[in-house]
Amino acid sequence: MADRLFSKFMESVKSREFTISGEIDPPKDVNREAVEEQVSCLKDHVVAANVTDNPIGDVIMNTFAPCVIMQEMGLEAIYQATCRDRNRIALQSDIIGAAAVGIKNVLALTGDHTRMGNHPQAKPVFDFDSVLLTQTIRKMVDEGKNWAGLELEHPPKLHVGVGLSPGLDPLEPEIIKLEKKIEAGAEFAQTQCVYDVRILERLKEETSHLEIPILPGLAPLRSIGMAKFMLKYVPGISIPDEMLKQLETSKDLKETTIDMTAELIRTVKEMGFAGVHIMPVGMDAQVGEMIKRSGVR
Amino acid sequence: MIITRQKTFDEIEAMVDDHDYNKIALIGCGGCVAFYHQGGRKETVELAEKLKAGSRDVITGIANRQCYLCREEDVRDLNDADTLKKVSREIEGFDNLDGVEAVISLACGVGVQNLANLVEIPVIPAQNTMFMGKRRVRGDFDIEQCIGCGDCILGLTGGICPVTRCAKSLMNGPCGGVFKGNCEVSQSRVSKHPVPCAWILIYKKLKKLGRLDNMKKIRPARDFVKSANMRMLEVEQVG
Ligand code: SF4
Ligand code: SF4
Repeated sequence: MADRLFSKFMESVKSREFTISGEIDPPKDVNREAVEEQVSCLKDHVVAANVTDNPIGDVIMNTFAPCVIMQEMGLEAIYQATCRDRNRIALQSDIIGAAAVGIKNVLALTGDHTRMGNHPQAKPVFDFDSVLLTQTIRKMVDEGKNWAGLELEHPPKLHVGVGLSPGLDPLEPEIIKLEKKIEAGAEFAQTQCVYDVRILERLKEETSHLEIPILPGLAPLRSIGMAKFMLKYVPGISIPDEMLKQLETSKDLKETTIDMTAELIRTVKEMGFAGVHIMPVGMDAQVGEMIKRSGVR
Repeated sequence: MIITRQKTFDEIEAMVDDHDYNKIALIGCGGCVAFYHQGGRKETVELAEKLKAGSRDVITGIANRQCYLCREEDVRDLNDADTLKKVSREIEGFDNLDGVEAVISLACGVGVQNLANLVEIPVIPAQNTMFMGKRRVRGDFDIEQCIGCGDCILGLTGGICPVTRCAKSLMNGPCGGVFKGNCEVSQSRVSKHPVPCAWILIYKKLKKLGRLDNMKKIRPARDFVKSANMRMLEVEQVG
């Protein structure tokens, strides 16, 4: 199965070029312009961009529509699929539909619990987990069979990636899970956001025996408030004191954030990672500048 | 055991008053609910005293196990009156349910249904039946241990059930939501109490047992036919 390349994103990763992916947040209502705006900001700077799947379980526009809009505008989509709201029937059905409209990359995630978002009373599904979703997608793509073993005369052609939380402690169970995802057929990994070089170093070390291309995730820290929120509520986040101080004393926050993110992008490249995954969290218009200042291109 | 919590008195009283029941029989249970001080002898008498305060005629009794009250074949061919007598005889405290307008059962949902199936009198539940849990000490938490998934994997998970104790019932290891060793749904933002991530517990236990390899194998997707609603088992031997 060596040279099956369906997407520009995977082509870039495979060519050992430093690959930059972005991410957009679908709006909570029918605001198509919000999608278009984010895509326009990103499209000249990243190879592909993720579309999130109702993160933390808040109800927003589905993943599908923004992926289509994005690809119409010329940017390749990475379709995030979580196991929170869909059982194995709906997940496979969505993958088939996604492939039919030309989506070439899927990120298979377990998903946040329903209890985390604005509909905590909803029934959590979790029929599959990220490992099983990955395995099933690969089975559809490579064997031309669905989970139940039924033949697909026209199988989907897309790549499947997975998430990774490098800041978790202990890290070993997360690495064991990554190994299972790779065994299941994961072709790339994008990580939870990282701010601390020590986390990146540990990740390099602990995954040195694995072949999978890893794109560490970066989300610009826009303020000290955001940093504190992340430390308090987001799993596995570590932010060096130096960074916190910079945010606290900054005279021009936007500039500081751009510089800090650029520095991280440069570090990630120097450490030899396959690429970087930028989640702009509202700073879409500055992504180009962050990449430019990093000097990675 | 079955963990229950007694409903509030107001809720129980409202169910009685809604239908103007005046003669009520309270039936406790000597099983799990007695063990957990929710529906045993003492709690049955206490609830009766409160209900009597509304000048109602209340009698109390206790069944050894309400889930094991009369075998269906023993009463199958009896008429209502005789069934009632037979059931009454199995309840310590009275041998006559005649004239009783409603029964309040202090047993779990299984006991309530068993009783309701036997007698032609309206049965009111006094408990909210919560889950299967283990014995705990005062001040501690009752923790759900098993949802009865019908396909036990405890042998692979160090005796800790991920189906029940992982908030997402994950089968292949922890999700990315583990927060300082605790489950994401027990974060202070959404919960009052931290609950350890089941998969971190499993990982630590397997490591101690030298069986981390158990965790490294991909577990197939669960078969929900084994745990879907309306489950039945053929009874091969009646004890
Ligand atoms: S694996 Fe199934 S049967 Fe075993 S303890 Fe868990 S829920 Fe119960
Ligand atoms: S944090 Fe642990 S217990 Fe909670 S959902 Fe994730 S894996 Fe399950």
